[in-house]
Amino acid sequence: MTAGSVDRPPILVLGLGNQLLGDDGAGLRLLELLEAGQGRAANVESLGGGTPAVEFIDGGTQGLALLGTIENRQGLLILDAVGSGSAGEVHSLDARDLAALRARRASTAHEGNALELLEAATLLGVAPARTVVVGITPAMLKTGIGLSPPVEAALPEALRQAGLALQSLISSLTA
Amino acid sequence: MARKIVVDPVTRIEGHLRIEAMLDDGGKIKDAMSTGTMWRGIEVILKGRDPRDAWAFCERICGVCTTVHALASVRAVENALGIRVPPNADVIRNIMFLTQMVQDHVVHFYHLHALDWVDIVSALKADPAGTEALAKKVSPKWPKSSEGYFRDVQNKLKKFVESGQLGLFQNAYWGHPAYKLPAEANLMAVSHYLEALAWQKELVKIHTVFGGKNPHPNYLVGGMASALNIEGDNAINMERLNLVKSKIEEAFSIVEDMYIPDLLAVASFYLDWASIGGGLGNYMSYGDVPQRGIGDPKGYLFPRGVILNKNLGEVMDVDPADASQIQEEISHSWYKYPNGSQGLHPWDGVTEPNYTGPKPPYTELDETKAYSWLKAPRWKGHSMEVGPLARVLIGYASGRAEFKEVVNEALGRLKAPPAALFSTLGRTAARGLETKLCIHWLLQEYEHLITNLKTGDSNTADNRKWDPSTWPADCKGYGFTEAPRGALCHWIHIKDSKIENYQAVVPSTWNASPRDAKGQLGAYESALIGTPMADPSRPIELLRTIHSFDPCLACASHVFGPDGESLAEVIVR
Repeated sequence: MTAGSVDRPPILVLGLGNQLLGDDGAGLRLLELLEAGQGRAANVESLGGGTPAVEFIDGGTQGLALLGTIENRQGLLILDAVGSGSAGEVHSLDARDLAALRARRASTAHEGNALELLEAATLLGVAPARTVVVGITPAMLKTGIGLSPPVEAALPEALRQAGLALQSLISSLTA
Repeated sequence: MARKIVVDPVTRIEGHLRIEAMLDDGGKIKDAMSTGTMWRGIEVILKGRDPRDAWAFCERICGVCTTVHALASVRAVENALGIRVPPNADVIRNIMFLTQMVQDHVVHFYHLHALDWVDIVSALKADPAGTEALAKKVSPKWPKSSEGYFRDVQNKLKKFVESGQLGLFQNAYWGHPAYKLPAEANLMAVSHYLEALAWQKELVKIHTVFGGKNPHPNYLVGGMASALNIEGDNAINMERLNLVKSKIEEAFSIVEDMYIPDLLAVASFYLDWASIGGGLGNYMSYGDVPQRGIGDPKGYLFPRGVILNKNLGEVMDVDPADASQIQEEISHSWYKYPNGSQGLHPWDGVTEPNYTGPKPPYTELDETKAYSWLKAPRWKGHSMEVGPLARVLIGYASGRAEFKEVVNEALGRLKAPPAALFSTLGRTAARGLETKLCIHWLLQEYEHLITNLKTGDSNTADNRKWDPSTWPADCKGYGFTEAPRGALCHWIHIKDSKIENYQAVVPSTWNASPRDAKGQLGAYESALIGTPMADPSRPIELLRTIHSFDPCLACASHVFGPDGESLAEVIVR
């Protein structure tokens, strides 16, 4: 079976993180909000044949096991906590930013990392054609469910940027 | 003068681990401290919740071992409520369990551990024709072994390295003198690294068939939620089952024709590691893969037991319910117990953090005081190693024919005595050998399921005790499994239909344990002693032994980008 079977939506929105660790769950909360708000609208514009354009998946903290989920998508939007900047800061990272991040990174502490997932996909030649990351800088990464006030306050802006990113992925699909 | 090495965090593992090692004048490790630097505390989140939901939270404890925590959790609740799941539920759980084990072990070997033994960069200098000759000798059944194939892989690797982004391969000590493989063997290993990477994402599709959603499969107290109907359209039908079978067959070939031959070939270059890294010599397994229900340990394919002091002549019994057997101590951990530091059985366990260490960032920790976020679990007061080596030794010492066969065959091929198993190499080999057993069992369990379905038994759950009104007001249970990294057990106390207390003792808590009140070292600490270090600023030898345990500190914190992750800092003093 080849990757990226034809019946899969060409765009994937992948939420990453652990909602048992406070703000590490920011990406999953964004996923929920984006799917509830834009998901339906986005999928109205489904491609011919009834296959929806966008799939929403909660990837948790899975690492390489997500390779099959992202492979050969035309567009990938990752929603995650982003480990730089000040608490509650919203980030939108495109391909160039991601390349810069990779070059700066000396090593990683764990395998369950989105950068490594993307690198593995690149190495195998199955990376999505376009990848965008939208995320929020966490304030609190402690055991517990729920987001901190600065991250909670950043949700509307993050949601707006995630929505724009998704629209852009969809329009490059039809272009 | 003695020197100290600090590696913090240890990379290519899940979670955060810090190792401090003291070297003697000859450059060998003479003492070591293993520190979990992050607090988890899932237990705190579960208090007061519905026991039937616990598995879904537990599934999120760890980014890698999702299924094993869910399995331990539903078994704990079923044990507390006296539920016996129907045979199909056990078979499906076994299939999920074995799939996880095979996937996890292959990924560990190629993607986390191989880089300790294989110099990826040296593969660029290999002669692809030489690699073809080698591959045909080492793994004659593996189809992809032509010169052209290896040349393609080499070009791909060259492009990757020339892009200036080593990425996945960034984090190793390329060119270190401790690498012993010829360039041609390194190229073969890189090729198989890529094969394994592409394959592992296919195998987990088995979880999607039975668990419904990926990557967080559904479990159910009382059985499994998988609807089975060979002829149905919406249920798990023959088409879905055929997909499972094809994935099992692919895995067979990966394990038998690629992983095991590679493992033995690499091992033959590193036989000196058969006398390094043994450590405690105490091994424990709860056992798993039940054939007659979880209540009958004699029917487990992985037998349960304890081996002390490397004595393969005796396998003792282990009982997770016995308060005198398993206790967690905190004399060297950042927790406090209400009644001093006496060890507690997990049913009475308390998870109250009490950080008394230096203010981060610190330069060193004091082994005479508390120095870890991990508690120190002990079996009858002894430190234990858990994981593949423990399981294989217990199977071997219990006289199980399947275990004896794979162990004796591997020892014969390497011309090594059984004592070679008590080592870093033995640990790495045991992981491969049990993978071989697991892939055979996986096929066997699949055939059980098909047989059951063909005789008309499609029942997967017993829901007679689903309603809390059928539960006792106060009850306790435990649920165990053998996770890829070793013995895992969850203990639950249910009161008035809610979780009163919940404790999980995970494999890496055993292996990465700090000292106890008697000063006994944990498994990592003990295994590091005696390890020779050629160049302390590039501590590849230390990493080989630590990685041989497949550490999983399971904090599963997961921040995107570089700044949230401290660099793998190696400090030599």
